[in-house]
Amino acid sequence: MSTTVRVAATVPQRVPAAAGARRRAAWLVVLAGLVVLGFVLDIALGSVRIPLSAVVDILLGRPGKTPAWEFIVQQIRLPKALTALAVGSGLAVSGLQMQTLFRNPLAGPSVLGLTAGAGLGVAVVMLASGSVAGSFAIRALGIGGSWSLVLAATTGAALVMGLVLALSAKVRDNVVLLIVGIMIASVTGAIVSLWQYFSAPEQIQEYLLWTFGSLGGVVGAHLTVLALVVGVGLVLAFASAKSLNVLLLGENYARSMGLRVGRSRTLIILSTSLLAGSITAFCGPIGFVGIAVPHLTRALLRTADHRVLLPASCLAGAALTLGCDCITQLPGSQITLPLSVVTSLLGAPVVLWVVLRRQSIRSSFS
Amino acid sequence: MPHSPLLPGRAGDVPVYLLVCRSVALLGLLLLSPAGFSQTTTPPKTRPKVTAAPATRGRTTVQYAKGFTITYAGNCKVVTILSPFEQKTTATRYLLVPRGTARPAGYPDAQVITTPIRSLVGLSSMHVALASFLGADDILVGLGNFKYASSPRVRQRITEGKIYEVGQGKELNNEQLIARHPDLVMTTGWPGENLTRFQTLAAAGIPVMINSEWVEKTPLARAEWVKVLAVLLNKEDVVNQKFGQVAREYQRLATLGQKAAKRPRVVVGMPFKDVWHVPDTDSYMAQFLRDAGTTYAWDKTKSPQGSLALSFETVSPVALTADYWLHTGSVSTKAEVVAQDARYAAFASFKSGRVYNNNRRTNAQGANDYWESGAVRPDLVLADLLRILHPELLPAGALCYYQQLK
Repeated sequence: MSTTVRVAATVPQRVPAAAGARRRAAWLVVLAGLVVLGFVLDIALGSVRIPLSAVVDILLGRPGKTPAWEFIVQQIRLPKALTALAVGSGLAVSGLQMQTLFRNPLAGPSVLGLTAGAGLGVAVVMLASGSVAGSFAIRALGIGGSWSLVLAATTGAALVMGLVLALSAKVRDNVVLLIVGIMIASVTGAIVSLWQYFSAPEQIQEYLLWTFGSLGGVVGAHLTVLALVVGVGLVLAFASAKSLNVLLLGENYARSMGLRVGRSRTLIILSTSLLAGSITAFCGPIGFVGIAVPHLTRALLRTADHRVLLPASCLAGAALTLGCDCITQLPGSQITLPLSVVTSLLGAPVVLWVVLRRQSIRSSFS
Repeated sequence: MPHSPLLPGRAGDVPVYLLVCRSVALLGLLLLSPAGFSQTTTPPKTRPKVTAAPATRGRTTVQYAKGFTITYAGNCKVVTILSPFEQKTTATRYLLVPRGTARPAGYPDAQVITTPIRSLVGLSSMHVALASFLGADDILVGLGNFKYASSPRVRQRITEGKIYEVGQGKELNNEQLIARHPDLVMTTGWPGENLTRFQTLAAAGIPVMINSEWVEKTPLARAEWVKVLAVLLNKEDVVNQKFGQVAREYQRLATLGQKAAKRPRVVVGMPFKDVWHVPDTDSYMAQFLRDAGTTYAWDKTKSPQGSLALSFETVSPVALTADYWLHTGSVSTKAEVVAQDARYAAFASFKSGRVYNNNRRTNAQGANDYWESGAVRPDLVLADLLRILHPELLPAGALCYYQQLK
């Protein structure tokens, strides 16, 4: 594609400026409303039936009717809803950044191999047996169940991120970087498979449960750390909004416009690594949100401007994750479904419907 | 049953080109590595000697278990393993023929096992327990994984190099198994599985027995699977005496527990993130809890899997107020419990220190004897539970498998 075509494609969208701006503002308000609704529903609904009035009482700090209700709302549902907010917005934004950076509609937070790296870290802790003395010590010393998982996942993701950052300084071509990421994911995936092959069934089950992704178990100090890291990642992402807009026009064009491509690329990779890495560390790999929400927002808002797309993706991601979490709890039922399954099963048709209505997705990337 | 190309009488079933290919391959192998080829035909030297026993010494009957039957036909025995997961019963039949006797007529679909077996490969720690219970540790020549053996005798034999590792799960080291040719391979059954994955071993004439003890609904039924190995070893008299003793002691303790005046509320297991697996009404764990005189919240709930995958939210109202918390997975201190999830500190049992795990007898390799000898000694497990939950019912004594989290 030549540069002129790309410019031509972006220009017409800016023509009905006033109407477009109103429409985008309206969508932002709707999405914000959906986030609030999702947040309330996520706290109100669950496998244990608690009357709405009691939930409100507990949230306002009044003593609940039973200690169990208080425990459920304060210790289970509230942290989970807050985690959903962080996970949804973080994954959606990192997905948007990746799609723009690689100018590839199929890119997502996992393309740099970060999720796979985190998975390898977790596998080391969970599947390690006496044969790997060092890792076994981590388990035996009891550094702490969930913290050691987070630590392992973060280390795994950070190692991959370091590798990708080092390569991105050398490799000029984003497509090469994309392939590098996918290959890293392949290699780490193979190592994990090999490990599983030689592990006991109960260890594999634990690891399998981790790969399903879950918002539960992120409480107290975990939640603070997750919120902090996701916050930093989001700030970096918003700071890169302008360079993302320019990158959409192609790297050569961006360079000719005076953008320091290498620096913005590092910033974007850093931001997406913080977001995807920390979320995977705490909640396991959660598929679909990162790849689908950017498409959803682009289609709804009909714009390629990242100053609008970033906040919109944040809101849409949070709303979608909250909604899906409500469903994993299956109100009235005692079982819970894996979050990744619900996001894909329910999210994919919605995104398909929106994208099909719009037909052309190529215009978003040119 | 698959064809058995290694038996000479069946060669006619195999296409000619295959026979030619095989002959060429065999010839090549013979020329290339005569030593390697001859290895497969030499019987292993370390095979333990079992003194020739009379065909049948006493008989045994199945009282509690639903997963298998034993019948006697002349000087042969027929063991039938029933598939517990399918609506229509697909049974696997084994014809136990005394060593040196010709296969009798009948049971055309049955696998033949020559008894008494002299070497056994066990793929689960339960199979180690069965052998230990009968005082026959020495017949174990292969294990799925060395890590999971607790029996001191078996551990010693592992150190001496008398036991080989054959791999676990779906991937067995078939070549090694065929080379060593054990008298029997015992494996664990899973839903929707049959013997087809052991075609290669069957073709090589190594019998494979599915042992699905873990689906039994009561602890005694589970332990009774020791009778399967007993008939294979002609040890009916031993098993009748020893298992009878265990069963009587278990019944005595269960009567004590069921009559207990107060019934403490218990919660079992530890969740991972959102999911908390708790035993359902048909599991042997629920029967343990009934016999130990407890109040268990899911005592009447059925599940086809034997355990219920509940959300943390569903279990938490029970866990918050339960008097006791049993089976806390891999953790063995209270500090490790809160390190897993700080919310556990809110449980009443945690505050009162009534948290017990079943990992007292865990060895340096990480194998927990609860899953080994505990499976065939339900009386000891129940005694532990009674000592924990109703100390007034039993004279004071040390716990065997359980320990209190400090």
